Amino acid sequence: MAETAGTLPKPLGGRTRTLAWLQRYGVYASVLALLLFNVAFTPHFLEVANFRTQLIQVAPIVIVSLGMALVIGTEGIDLSVGSVMALSSAMVVLYLGYGAPVAIVAALVAGAAVGAGGGALVAYAGVQPIVATLALLVGIRGLANVLVPQLTEFRNPALITLGSRSVLGLPLVVIIAAVLTAVVAFLVKRTIFGRQLVAVGGNRAAAKLSGLPVRRILVAVYVLSGLLAAVAGVLATARLQASDPTSLGLLMELSAITAVVVGGTPLTGGRVRVLGTVMGALLIQLLQATLIKHNLPQSWTQMVQAVIILAAVYAARGRKK
Amino acid sequence: MSRRRGWAALAVAALLATGACAKSEDTSDTPAPAGSAGEQVAQSAAADGPTCTLQSFGGQAFDVKTATVGFSQSEKEANPFRIAETQSIKDEAKALGIANLRVTNAQSQFSKQISDVQQLIAQGAKLLVIAPLNSDGWEPVLKQAAEKKIPIITIDRKINAQPCTDYLTFIGSDFYEQGKRAADQMIAALGGNGEVAILLGAPGNNVTTDRTAGFKDRIAEKAPNIKITFEQTGEFTREKGQQVTEQLIQSRPGTSGIYAENDEMALGAVTALKGAGKTPGQVKIVSIDGTRAAVQGIVDGWLYSVIESNPRFGPLAFQTAQKFVAGEAIPATTIISDREYTTANAKDSLGHAY
Amino acid sequence: MSDGTAPVLEARGISKGFPGVLALDGVSFRLAAGEVHALVGENGAGKSTLIKVLTGVHQPDRGELRLHGGPVSFGTPLDAQRAGISTIYQEVNLVPQMSVAHNLLLGREPRGRLGVIDTGQLYTQARRVMSRYGIQTDVRRPLRSLGMGAQQMVALARAVSIDARVVIMDEPTSALEPREVDTLFGVIGDLRAGGISVVYVSHRLEELYRICDQVTVLRDGRVAHTGPLAGLERVKLIALMLGRDTADVRLRGQTEFAGRHTAKNGQPVVEARALSRRHQLHDVSIRVRPGEVVGLGGLLGAGRSETAKAIAGALPFDGGAVVVAGHALRKGSPAAAIRAGASLLPEDRKAEGIVPTMSVRDNIALAALPRLSRAGIVSEARVDRVVQTLMKRLRIKATSPHQKVSELSGGNQQKVLLARSLATGAKVLLLDEPTRGIDVGAKAEVQALIDELAAEGLGVLLISSDLEELVEGSDRVVVLRDGAVVGELSGDEVTEEAIMRAIADGGGVDG
Repeated sequence: MAETAGTLPKPLGGRTRTLAWLQRYGVYASVLALLLFNVAFTPHFLEVANFRTQLIQVAPIVIVSLGMALVIGTEGIDLSVGSVMALSSAMVVLYLGYGAPVAIVAALVAGAAVGAGGGALVAYAGVQPIVATLALLVGIRGLANVLVPQLTEFRNPALITLGSRSVLGLPLVVIIAAVLTAVVAFLVKRTIFGRQLVAVGGNRAAAKLSGLPVRRILVAVYVLSGLLAAVAGVLATARLQASDPTSLGLLMELSAITAVVVGGTPLTGGRVRVLGTVMGALLIQLLQATLIKHNLPQSWTQMVQAVIILAAVYAARGRKK
Repeated sequence: MSRRRGWAALAVAALLATGACAKSEDTSDTPAPAGSAGEQVAQSAAADGPTCTLQSFGGQAFDVKTATVGFSQSEKEANPFRIAETQSIKDEAKALGIANLRVTNAQSQFSKQISDVQQLIAQGAKLLVIAPLNSDGWEPVLKQAAEKKIPIITIDRKINAQPCTDYLTFIGSDFYEQGKRAADQMIAALGGNGEVAILLGAPGNNVTTDRTAGFKDRIAEKAPNIKITFEQTGEFTREKGQQVTEQLIQSRPGTSGIYAENDEMALGAVTALKGAGKTPGQVKIVSIDGTRAAVQGIVDGWLYSVIESNPRFGPLAFQTAQKFVAGEAIPATTIISDREYTTANAKDSLGHAY
Repeated sequence: MSDGTAPVLEARGISKGFPGVLALDGVSFRLAAGEVHALVGENGAGKSTLIKVLTGVHQPDRGELRLHGGPVSFGTPLDAQRAGISTIYQEVNLVPQMSVAHNLLLGREPRGRLGVIDTGQLYTQARRVMSRYGIQTDVRRPLRSLGMGAQQMVALARAVSIDARVVIMDEPTSALEPREVDTLFGVIGDLRAGGISVVYVSHRLEELYRICDQVTVLRDGRVAHTGPLAGLERVKLIALMLGRDTADVRLRGQTEFAGRHTAKNGQPVVEARALSRRHQLHDVSIRVRPGEVVGLGGLLGAGRSETAKAIAGALPFDGGAVVVAGHALRKGSPAAAIRAGASLLPEDRKAEGIVPTMSVRDNIALAALPRLSRAGIVSEARVDRVVQTLMKRLRIKATSPHQKVSELSGGNQQKVLLARSLATGAKVLLLDEPTRGIDVGAKAEVQALIDELAAEGLGVLLISSDLEELVEGSDRVVVLRDGAVVGELSGDEVTEEAIMRAIADGGGVDG
């Protein structure tokens, strides 16, 4: 979606070309292969209810991954997303007394604030992204636990509706994820901000010399990542009909990074593939669903995920040489 | 530089401020916890197994009420079980007039628990109550305690050592037995026929292993027509319980029963069933723990039965300690008798649930 | 001096290659005892490679090293150190948090009974060493609390005190105050008297002539000259470094530059007033009028790139002002400079220029995006128009505007960067080595373009180490040395020889 067509690369070796193809389209091929496998071997797979389930479950991963893709596009990384989900979940139940809209706004503001903090550390204090956001990963989870020490149920009908209602047969959660995907794709492809963030990731010194507001761009990117993680946290909370900051969003950062990298966005930045990222998230979801449906241990998911990440990184590296 | 630090500090301050004007939903219609209701009852009689006396342990008599007593909790009080467990110890100590109770929490870090207990010993604790995070790795602590002849009562999880020499005694539930009783309930719910799915606890946890083995053994023994077709971990959390159940009911519509190895996963399964448009009781759910939300689930018709795993160790632990210092023989192992919640008693027993 | 006595350290016929380049090609180098030997050369001449071979960082492909007359080979820098070869880098490599005394005697602390460090003794010894180097300081203070010069001195004292026979100094004075330089030279004098040899790498001619006995000039990986420094004329030395023979005045017409441009009268399009930056720039003033090409001459490290960067907002300065098209610029803001109309083509194309992951089109539009968009949304049609025009105009060879820029040749990448500058609507171009590292054909094209642009009324500030290019392309040449303007040549005065002479002795017309 964010890629440009009509490129005629210089003649490449067969191996390099295969790797290039894999980096770009491998994720689509894998999703397709997994779909075909399930259609053939998984009972009740070709049912509307099944696709609903997968889309509902993948929605929070997609939303978090979109923000992660932007951050990775600037050669950064945001490890705090899972903890931000937990914080936003805590904020929602803490402020539910004022009604769902206020509670949701409070959660989103908290997510954006964490992003601003991380972004400021990266852009102005020069802290490495992995260090800055690792500190937030630990600290923000702790804060969420202090705010809501144990699983708390709620009955607010508006919030429950958000998590369970469908419009025209499509769950609200899925519609929101789709809209956000379109927004982020537009941001990357059509706006100054999108071009500039890619340039910051591709060559920071060049971006600076070209007069780009590098620091502001970095802060904005982390704010967006925090905001999107908070949206995912709100949706996951609405769906669970309870806030559980102890376990909500655990290891989400790994899933999101996997989705982004597998989707063809290199960890070295300078490129953002939005549709690829969504496909990456779908791949993780389908993989997990396939294992569960065939009653195979879920710990396999992690192992297969690891293999996929290695393959993606290998394809990216091999291509560079 | 200081301006930049200021920024970060500002962000953090803003975050901390967020909790200040919070106003959460009003949920006053849930009954308040009912004090000491639901106290544990010892199941195995003292005479059944080996016993221990002050003489055989080799300690000195002391007054539990005036002595320093240490309690080491393993995990943070973020789930109903741990909350109720710590509360019960504190409440009972207060009731008995124990002035010097020191409570520590290892936050799920075993190394911290070891140093916690060593701290308690250094602070002059005469009696230690420990909810161990692990069964192994206690040698250094046990050695220190044995030198000072400090009796250790371990609760809810055993440690691998010699009772009455390395430590005094263990009080806890029999997780295998809980699994068996859950199976009995499931057999009754399904009339001995049907497909059952298991929501496993966290992998590599002895609670998971025992509750699974007890359930499966009993089903194999009593109801060979019940088929266990699905076993997936829900990691003891509500969210995972919900997600796994969503996949389950979609791809295996024939599933008639779900055995959840704790209440949280069962409640997650209920959310999933509601989301899929099922009606209460359409899929029979049996779970273990006895939290208030789960017992309420029975009242509402979503859960069939809940086997209790009673966290209120306070009274039994201190009773045991008092008997011991008074010179009476105490059992090396005390298995507590857990209650069962079913449609018959759920409504009346809500006050007992934690 | 080198006759008769066997050299302390000698390199014979050293060759060292890296993928794509032969960094050293049969280089020989002799260092006699008690000699201060200058090692000079421009960018890419092979100085740093030679130093790395001498200190065991690199192993030579061919040739041999001899120490005290016998062959040696250093597998690691530690081997070289043990053999008595010490290196002092620009960046001092000590432990900043530890005290001066500890740094000085690290690993050789005086021990009392039980092997405990005898602190009293440590401080006494350290004070003795430091006073010998003329440094008055509390040796108990942490090293980082000292000035750069004093830190350098500690490094030097440490190097010498571990029985070094050869000390290699790489740009040791780049961060020193004049007074500190005097102290350093005093110490170097002491070393020489003590029979210790010094290899002295610097671009500052003054310094070389003050303290060096011998000089070796490297150019393109070969020895261009070696011999005593005293009898060597400065202008000759510069000619050797730049690869120009003063006797051989070539005919014009080697470059694509057509000749003089007609500068439009009126206000300068860019004016730098008395730019100063600690250790780098001293009162540099430059004006470029529309339609004029002003060359910046000088050796490596003279402050040419720094001047261009300071004007472009990419390098903060301590004093002075930059005025572009009548607007005084905010310091350190490339965005402000670009808005006002000044655009920099950086020296290092890969590191600071192209964004390799992006297309030719996006690279060209990068700096001009605010002009090519409305309400934050990029107008693709306008981008296409600008990109199309510029690609045609600069004859950029790419399969399509969407081809990745990293797939282009060096010359075409350079043109893409030039297009990026032009897309911003620049009124003045600051071109830092615009033709370095690109092939002959592309070089000629870029030179012709510079002419065209100037003819259209753009101001150009041209930095080039290629003297011929500088002379033929520029209407005026401002010569820098050690961060200060030492001469300005215009009209027929602009010749290679005049530039070299200006570099050598600050002659020429004062600017």
